Amino acid sequence: MSGLGELDRPGAPGGSDALSDAGTDPDGPGPGVSDGRGPGVSDGRGPGVSDGRGPGVSRRGVAVDPVKALMHRHRDLCQRAVDPLEIAAGLEAHGVTDRTAARFRHRDVFSLAEEMYARVPRDGDTPPPAPPTALPREARLRPDWALLTLLPGALCAATLTGVRLTDGRTRLLVAAAGLLAVALAVHAALRRGPLGGPRRVHPGLQRTEAWTCWLLGYAALGDGLLRAAVDGGPDALPDGTSGGPWPFAAVPLLTLTLACAPAAWSAHFLALQARRRLNSSRGLEEFAAGVRPLLFAALALFLSALTVLTALCAAALDEPADCVPVVALGALLFLARLLTVHGFAHAPAVGIAVAGAAEALAPATVFAGRLPGCGFVATPVESLVTAWGPVGVPSLACASAALILLIHATRTLTRASAHVRTDQPC
Amino acid sequence: MRIALLTEGGYPYVSGDAGVWCDRLVRGLGQHRFDVYALSRAAHQEEAGWIALPPQVGRVHTAPLWRAEEDGVSYGRRARRRFAECYEELAAALCEGDSPDATAPSGAGSTAQADRFANALYGLAELAHDEGGLVGALRSETAVRALERACRAPGALRTAREGRLPDLLAVVAHLERALRPLSLDWYDDQGGAEGASLGSVDLCHAASGGAAALPGLLAAQFFDVPLLVTEYGVRLRTHYLSAGGPPSPAGSGNTPSAEAAPAVRALLAAFHGRLAAEVYRQAACVTPGNAHARRWQERCGADRAKLRTVYPGMEASRFADVGDAPDAADPHTLVWVGRVEPAKDLVSLLHAFAEIRREEPRARLRIVGTAAGAEGRAYLGHCRMLAAQLFPYEAAGPHCVGDDPVSFEEVGAPEAPTPADAYAAGAVVVLSSVVEGFPVGLVEAMFCGRATVSTDVGAVVEVIGGTGLVVPPRNPRALAKACGALLRDPARRARLGAAARARALELFTVEQNVAAFHGIYLDLVSRAPVSPHVFDDDGEPHPFAVPAEARVPGLWIDLAARGTGRQSPSWAAGPPVGEAAPVAATEGAR
Repeated sequence: MSGLGELDRPGAPGGSDALSDAGTDPDGPGPGVSDGRGPGVSDGRGPGVSDGRGPGVSRRGVAVDPVKALMHRHRDLCQRAVDPLEIAAGLEAHGVTDRTAARFRHRDVFSLAEEMYARVPRDGDTPPPAPPTALPREARLRPDWALLTLLPGALCAATLTGVRLTDGRTRLLVAAAGLLAVALAVHAALRRGPLGGPRRVHPGLQRTEAWTCWLLGYAALGDGLLRAAVDGGPDALPDGTSGGPWPFAAVPLLTLTLACAPAAWSAHFLALQARRRLNSSRGLEEFAAGVRPLLFAALALFLSALTVLTALCAAALDEPADCVPVVALGALLFLARLLTVHGFAHAPAVGIAVAGAAEALAPATVFAGRLPGCGFVATPVESLVTAWGPVGVPSLACASAALILLIHATRTLTRASAHVRTDQPC
Repeated sequence: MRIALLTEGGYPYVSGDAGVWCDRLVRGLGQHRFDVYALSRAAHQEEAGWIALPPQVGRVHTAPLWRAEEDGVSYGRRARRRFAECYEELAAALCEGDSPDATAPSGAGSTAQADRFANALYGLAELAHDEGGLVGALRSETAVRALERACRAPGALRTAREGRLPDLLAVVAHLERALRPLSLDWYDDQGGAEGASLGSVDLCHAASGGAAALPGLLAAQFFDVPLLVTEYGVRLRTHYLSAGGPPSPAGSGNTPSAEAAPAVRALLAAFHGRLAAEVYRQAACVTPGNAHARRWQERCGADRAKLRTVYPGMEASRFADVGDAPDAADPHTLVWVGRVEPAKDLVSLLHAFAEIRREEPRARLRIVGTAAGAEGRAYLGHCRMLAAQLFPYEAAGPHCVGDDPVSFEEVGAPEAPTPADAYAAGAVVVLSSVVEGFPVGLVEAMFCGRATVSTDVGAVVEVIGGTGLVVPPRNPRALAKACGALLRDPARRARLGAAARARALELFTVEQNVAAFHGIYLDLVSRAPVSPHVFDDDGEPHPFAVPAEARVPGLWIDLAARGTGRQSPSWAAGPPVGEAAPVAATEGAR
């Protein structure tokens, strides 16, 4: 529609200029008004369906600086263009041809575009102001996943209440149903939001999930088992209470399921701030230096929330609880999830597997120490238990694994490429 | 002969762009065997399925460009270093100050630069072939780091220096998408015998530039398979136009939107420009669809000796009846046929018609076409209103019902059941566009043997030759004069129409298109025997099948020269004159 303004003036002289210049165009196939000069179709009219104006006559003052007027008309194109060919393509899309370019005393559109590109005023070395950083979609806390992260904790609390209130067979059923519900809720909470969406399904995913379940199971039952094992037990299967011969610790489970929410919020905080930092930084080093404190801050946020939750849960459930193993396990799981979400699935898988293996090995050595002549096998664990109590084993295993993952994360999560979402086009 | 037809978002898919053309080519050349290597652009395209394939199509290999599976390969130290070196070179070639387009294509600096780009590209391809896992590597921090270093290096493009971190990441993501064809499994050496790889074909025919030509480029590099590139629209130009446009919908391509930072657009434009230059340099033959595409290709560094314009072919049989029949049209009727959109400038046509009516009151104008999109519909409404204002109803006498001298119709309506009928109804066919690519409607009118008046846009002059009148665009008075001249002179109309029909039948039929490609295939293959012939049936190499000259390293040697060098040793008679000429021309140009 760009030319409609001119079209209201039929016979604008620009056209006749082009017409009369056409003969001088070295590239052109000859007359602009080819009049049937093909073989056998000559019929004698001169090369003009022209309105008889002489060349160079212009009402619009094209002769003064024709290119400047053209540049003004296409100023957006000129400002935006990153090279002359872009201007050439844009001009052609607006109907500028080589014959039009001849009007501007150029051989073709390309050389015209080159002149225009060269004449675009560029203000030297000042970089353009940073465009307003569009915040990503997940910028605000979406209520659906915020609620979803609260779901596992709520279900776990409900299950524990149910287990406490019921007895016998019913208790077993309630426990099984609760376990299933909590597992599903955790799965759902980890599918979306800042903790969701690993970029790809990596091969060792199921193994990692199995090790995670083992870690959680150990958090609930492992301390009791270890204590009983060191004391010569266990004499009976766990009955779901904290008072039996193989006591069941509900506090770690409740705390960790409740901690889904602070974990998601911390991860959200990290993603958001990192995205902001990404938009504002100029180099990779600058970005890495900016993100490292953010990573520590997110972890500290999560760990303090976890500590508070542990204390609260211990008070609510009226159980003695040590917050160190819970916090260590929470840190391990949080870092592992963070790394997995950002596309580094290998290290967390190894870390979780190593911690789980260490926790499996501890009671195994105690039991192996009962074999004749193998007492020395149990010595390290037994001395650890006497020194720090049974919580020493999971604390040590998880904390060291978490520390290794943290060191890994300070190297990998500070990369800019870790904070690009590849699933959406940039 | 086995021909690999390389397409991108095109041929075997129902919703492809160049599907009709490729289908006609494949069906027209039944004596050859075609293997189709298709890159699909979007999920919906794959779901829509393929068109029916003729028996001469052997295997169809498809690969998606819109998603990439990481194969989970993580590089060892050595491969990582190799990748970093290649990517750094690629980034440096992109960020380097003067683009090869700005200087003459034969400049020494640009040759070195093109070599750098080519080395990096082939290095990455070899890495993908040897180790796999290129997709992950192209997204990795190593890539970002290499790009950052190249952008901050002295002598880098000004816009690239200003790039911020998100820009770099965007460029890395775009490059990863653009280089996906490198990771395909089409380049296996082992697949040669069974024919699963590009190494086993005699000729690669890329149906467009850009991503489709990339596999052909690698086949030319790895297996010495000659590459033929056909471009009806130059990909680089398409890239520029779409890069300036609105942001593309998700997953639909490789072009940044207009809102993208200048650094992103500059680097990607550099990439596509270098890629186009490399494709033109390595291709044995480049066939533009018209002179406009040809100019762009020359501009991007294509050697003139390799360019052969092959006009698109169109189905002439639909218009045969009208073209052969004697002219039965109303001698006062002008016809415009096409898709109604602002670029067609119907307003100008209506103004011109107003002028015609002043001299020839019996003149009628029939505008046959449908509006395309919302903008087109609005424009059609605008034109209808303008026509109503300019031309009130007219009646022959005081007791007759009035009639409108301008009618708006659609193809398929009772007045014009087919386009051929629409053309047949007019004494003169008018084309009033201000922007036009290859004017399909004009060619159809030529097939119908109509006298035409068209504006001088796009490839109009080239198509019409001397067989119709051409006026400047946006000049209603010139248009009116030309139309009036033709309306008054039936003999001239008949002469021009007959000449136009003869010209169209000679140049723009499907048969000439297919025959041209057939000739080019034979020409290229005769000059370039390929590696499968090097081995006999037992897999044993034929002695002296490949002389040592065929393996001369470096890119300085011309492909045509390489072909002749391989065919005839130095002690044999000199190369034929027809082949010596282009070589001499290139050497001279450098």
